[in-house]
Amino acid sequence: MSSDFYKISILPFAGIIIKLCRAYTNSQQDFEDYYQEVCLQIWRSKDNFREESQWSTWVYRISLNVCLTLLKKKKNNVQHFVSDSVTVEETEDNYAFSDESLNLLYDAIRKLSEIDRAIIMLYLEEKSQKEIAEIIGTNPNNIGVRVKRIKIRLKKILDGKIN
Amino acid sequence: MERSIENIWKEGFLKSDDLVAPKINNLYNQKSIHIIDKFKRMFKINLIAIVAFSFAFLVVSFFVGIPITGVIFFVTLSVLVYINKKLLNELEKIDLGESSYQYLKAFNQWKNKQLSINMKISRFFYPIIFLAMIFGFWFKDAEGMYLGERLVGEILVGFPEIYLVFGIPLIGIVIAIIILVLLAFFGARIYKWDLNVIYGNVFKKLEELMTDIESLRS
Repeated sequence: MSSDFYKISILPFAGIIIKLCRAYTNSQQDFEDYYQEVCLQIWRSKDNFREESQWSTWVYRISLNVCLTLLKKKKNNVQHFVSDSVTVEETEDNYAFSDESLNLLYDAIRKLSEIDRAIIMLYLEEKSQKEIAEIIGTNPNNIGVRVKRIKIRLKKILDGKIN
Repeated sequence: MERSIENIWKEGFLKSDDLVAPKINNLYNQKSIHIIDKFKRMFKINLIAIVAFSFAFLVVSFFVGIPITGVIFFVTLSVLVYINKKLLNELEKIDLGESSYQYLKAFNQWKNKQLSINMKISRFFYPIIFLAMIFGFWFKDAEGMYLGERLVGEILVGFPEIYLVFGIPLIGIVIAIIILVLLAFFGARIYKWDLNVIYGNVFKKLEELMTDIESLRS
């Protein structure tokens, strides 16, 4: 990979990669590891990009796959080494954004299922239903309904009605 | 007024500097290891393929009546594999704990050494392979006599005045010597071409990575 590849093909999408990685991690160290792994996987898989979709869609899809894979690995490790009563979701969030409302929103997002987290973030990033479906690998018709349900759930979490 | 999640999202990221990409220094380490691991895997597979081919050819050569070719192939390729296996063992000793730049430089030095040794070997390897083919077919049984002698006999029927040296047409010896000299002369280049066909892509990526890291260091 040339530094040009990073600058041209990854850096313009760093924002969404960062947002995605933050939703699946609970510490700065994990976040940096996830970000790095995403960049590495984008670089490794660049030759497989067939231009059937937009480059940005490809980047989002890889980012999401990497985050989900790493999260699964981490959960397995935690289950091996930590008592059953402590899960990844419950570990302390020792890093945060400067905006307090955003932190609360992120905490709420982290309480969603893994796929719901991806859907709501892509929705918040103003991706079309078609593009979200393409990234997630599902039917675009379901996305609208699912986003509504996720928003209701998020609202309830933020209002403290559910944990 | 209560803010919607869309507003929290938009405004939160507008205000903050939280979207600064983290440094990715370690990425180069991972990439170096990934590329060199890929090369090692390919190199090992290549050596295994050579061993498998030389053994299969040895067996087949006995069935098709050219055991000399099979044996010479087998011995030559075994020596080649042995030398390259020793080189591969040296590669395994490169310290992964070094910085990616040092790791790549160490690999590059190994690659140059490997290239130099194999280019020297190739000057003999290709002529030996050619001679193995000549001897194999010359001594192949053709209805009770050697194929080579039978061919010479048939040539003598058509060209009775042809000049023979030790029972072999001089023109044949001259052509064989020219081919041997050409193979010895171009052996190193043939090897380099062969190497590029198999590993060219990996070497290109490594060069790009080296240039990248060098530009970052400067």
